[in-house]
Amino acid sequence: MANTKEYIRNRAGSNISKIVIDRDLCIGAASCLAVSGDTYSLDNENKAVVNGADAADDATLIMSAESCPTKAIFLFDKAGQQIFPK
Amino acid sequence: MEQYKYVIIGGGAAGVSVAETIRQTNKSGSLAVISDEPHALYSRVMLSKPNFFLGKVPFDQIYLKGENWYKENQIQFLGGKTVISLDGAKKVLTLADGGEIQYEKLLVATGVQTRRLNLPGADKLGIHYLRTLEDGKKIMEHIKIAKRAVTLGGGFISFEMADLLKLAGLETTVILRESYFWKPILDEASGMMIENALTKNGIKIIKEAELAEITGGEAVEGVALKDGRQIPCELLMCGIGVVSLLDWAKQSGFATNKGILANEYLETNIPDVWTAGDIAEYKDLLLEENVQMGNWVNAREQGRVAALNMISNERKPFKFVSFYTTQGLGITIAFVGDVAPGPDRLIISRGSPEINSYGRIIIVGKELVGATLVNRTGEMATISKLIENNVDISAHHADLADPNFDLKKLLV
Repeated sequence: MANTKEYIRNRAGSNISKIVIDRDLCIGAASCLAVSGDTYSLDNENKAVVNGADAADDATLIMSAESCPTKAIFLFDKAGQQIFPK
Repeated sequence: MEQYKYVIIGGGAAGVSVAETIRQTNKSGSLAVISDEPHALYSRVMLSKPNFFLGKVPFDQIYLKGENWYKENQIQFLGGKTVISLDGAKKVLTLADGGEIQYEKLLVATGVQTRRLNLPGADKLGIHYLRTLEDGKKIMEHIKIAKRAVTLGGGFISFEMADLLKLAGLETTVILRESYFWKPILDEASGMMIENALTKNGIKIIKEAELAEITGGEAVEGVALKDGRQIPCELLMCGIGVVSLLDWAKQSGFATNKGILANEYLETNIPDVWTAGDIAEYKDLLLEENVQMGNWVNAREQGRVAALNMISNERKPFKFVSFYTTQGLGITIAFVGDVAPGPDRLIISRGSPEINSYGRIIIVGKELVGATLVNRTGEMATISKLIENNVDISAHHADLADPNFDLKKLLV
């Protein structure tokens, strides 16, 4: 992954410890914001950024990643394994 | 006859969002997705994106669900099948191949079709529309050999395709009927920013022009305008809007207007039948009117809400501030909420074309209802929250007009 940005997550009880956004893939469709406006926003380059990595529960986070039309959101568990996309 | 508890007509963003949401809570109820396309869910929005088109990301990245996903979730995918009628009393669908399917609950998310040219020469080879993966593949092949392209239309298909055709090395001309891009949703100043981005990148623009004819033999050799001008091209890309195909729906007893009509719960007039996505003309509680909203985010969210209503006895209204963004040629454009022009709207300018960052905040009464943002997409999330929360901004017009004022301060 070339142009990526990583966001560390420390939410209590969560199995997801890292959110990664591939900025080359992101097209700013903003479907992630629609699922969780507390987790994501867009920057002025029209790319998704995470400003609340701990805001949403795991199910919501997975839904937000599933909603992305370019599969630009990657989720990792505490062991460093990629859990989405599968 | 095949029988399912849940049947979804349409395998795109809305239809699959419905299936996904049903399966989050109901793992066992039989479920079928009928699609006139043979493919598992793919990303329609990626079809017009340069990274995909020019091969910077692998082609298969366009598939959002593998065939396995349907199997794992016990979803029967009926690809390449078209529904031709519905008997709402018997709850039976008839397919074009003669098959019949019985449902308990039905969701219609058939989407919309591209508007086609209707003028002399419109059947020549080299004229493209963009909706399906097959459309995309045809264009991908054609750009390898074409030298000159014309894109037709003043909206996002024309804008995004002009960008990528130019990136692919084609001499590109944009022809629009209006006097500027995205008229009348954008104002002229915003439209000029887009025009400057196009021309700075070597794309020609011809405004206030209409096609008279497409010239050439079997294949396109150019277009003739009504004013007599001729523009040579081998590739003609049309982005001239969409139409809803409603014949089958009308004959089956659906109430229709421009789309299939639905209330705020996305219920149609036929019992146990819901609709979502581009085809749904639903009662929007925020805009207080019936609207059809064609974008990815809306399709996903409507699918989710319709699914919740299908699986539960509680009715959940669809209430959502829609947004849409596009980017290309070094410019980003976002539309939030209700951007339709109207006499009752007050518009506050935020930034300016001169500083290359220009927003328009649209106000009705004491509240913000929408915004258009050029190179200010960073404010989109906050603006949608201001709209959703019905924040009274009547004392803050000066703040809204100050491009450096942090809009988040209005949220508390």
